Amino acid sequence: MTGPPADVTVRVDDVHVHYRVYEDPRAGLKQNFSQGRMRRQFSTIEAVRGVTLDLHESETLGLIGANGSGKSTLLAAMTGLLPLKSGTIRGRSRPCLLGVSSALRAALSGRRNILIGGLALGFTRAEIESRMDEIIDFAGLRNAIDRPMRTYSSGMRARLNFAIATARIPDILLIDEALAVGDEDFRVRSARRIDEVRAAAGSVVLVSHNMAEIERSCHRAAWLDNGVLRAVGEPGEVVPAYLASYSSSRSRASG
Amino acid sequence: MDDATSSQPNPRDLVDLTVPPSTGAYLREVWRRREFAVVVPAQDLRAQNMDTALGQLWHLVNPALLVGVYFFIFGVLLDTRRGVDNFLGFLIVGIVLFHLTQRVVQDAAVCMVRNMGLIRSIQFPRILLPMATVNGQTLAFLPALAVALLAILATGERPSLRWLLVLGVLAAVYLFNLGAALVVARIGASVRDLERLLPHLLRLLFYGSGVIFSVEAFVTSEAWRRAFALNPVYDLITCARWCLLGTGVDQSVVIGMLAWCAVLPVVGFIAFRSAERRFGS
Repeated sequence: MTGPPADVTVRVDDVHVHYRVYEDPRAGLKQNFSQGRMRRQFSTIEAVRGVTLDLHESETLGLIGANGSGKSTLLAAMTGLLPLKSGTIRGRSRPCLLGVSSALRAALSGRRNILIGGLALGFTRAEIESRMDEIIDFAGLRNAIDRPMRTYSSGMRARLNFAIATARIPDILLIDEALAVGDEDFRVRSARRIDEVRAAAGSVVLVSHNMAEIERSCHRAAWLDNGVLRAVGEPGEVVPAYLASYSSSRSRASG
Repeated sequence: MDDATSSQPNPRDLVDLTVPPSTGAYLREVWRRREFAVVVPAQDLRAQNMDTALGQLWHLVNPALLVGVYFFIFGVLLDTRRGVDNFLGFLIVGIVLFHLTQRVVQDAAVCMVRNMGLIRSIQFPRILLPMATVNGQTLAFLPALAVALLAILATGERPSLRWLLVLGVLAAVYLFNLGAALVVARIGASVRDLERLLPHLLRLLFYGSGVIFSVEAFVTSEAWRRAFALNPVYDLITCARWCLLGTGVDQSVVIGMLAWCAVLPVVGFIAFRSAERRFGS
């Protein structure tokens, strides 16, 4: 893989994201009452703590890290879905998080779901109808498209989701562990579509726990650890470092 | 997909993605995506009765049964028809309109929570969700309206030019429901207790809107009658009854209706938009 070109598409600058969550009170009502605190407990989770990162034209960045390290939060922040505690995120266009599964309705047919999902993504009805056949063929669902979606296998649903979400090639695409779906044939087709994003000078961020996939398809890898960026660079260097820390912490814990 | 992507991007020009759009840009984006707020609720409506024997007929049968039950209890058993010439027509207008507002408010209270997955994964003007709620319930209301008009004809009323004015009242109903949905959706998104409280508030509103009895005939105190005129649902129902049945309407009721449907959507929009960025967290 060649090195990343210079032009920046998204600049993440010293971003902090905090969540406020309800603490499930450990003490019972009686205990709380006797201690005189009836207010429900909030606690703040610092999910992303001071991340600075550039995305470049025509590159795929792999985002790796343990569960709960802040990968998904960082992606959501990049789409503008989450308010930031501090820092800025600037981009030449709004990044698009791959996936419309939350908009789809299990009771309705695949065809109607393409309409609903497309509208949720900001297509007009006319645009969706003109791409309908293309989407159906890409998802490989020609024979099942008028059946209710609840009759689909999970692989079929994932293919439909991916086909709708990439019906228009986005400029900056964020993918949260979505690629490990579908059969081998579909995997090849989805990889090709991601290449199209890069060919149009766009950027891709790929969150994955599949380290072989990160090393194979990413130009750079960024390792997020407990909300902090531990390393950014060649996947061939960052991935082994991440795996080494993971196995050493495991052996510490067991030993 | 929004302003930032539709214009030709200049790589040197990075825009701040965390700054919320101006009100003008927001409204333009809502308009661009207006089909979402119509097509999605229409599809949901279709999905609702798909596995029942009567299917889409339920959208007609439900309001007919509703009117039938109330007529039996309040018209036949308890005889609250005092002071009303065409009590069945009176009941039909009240129940059908109240039912619409009730469904809008109940649905709006949960529409943000129900769509949390969508809110957390796709960027779009959140106001489309309560708008879709109002549109969906209004679409479901149209067959009920047809049943109601036929039933009113069957009670012996004859259409006149005044019937055309009901279109204006229905427009006012839509605007009021939209405003109410925005306020309720905003509160329901952060205060989950609202869902538990609503049935009681709606029951109070039901009896306070003269749905099943004539306020003119039952409420004698002048002060209380004035209080009724402040209730938007009472105003809307009374104006619709005037259009279709020729029952009396006070000037204060018409003014009350117009004021509510002009002010509430604006208040709702401001209240909703001020919380826009907090809905996902």
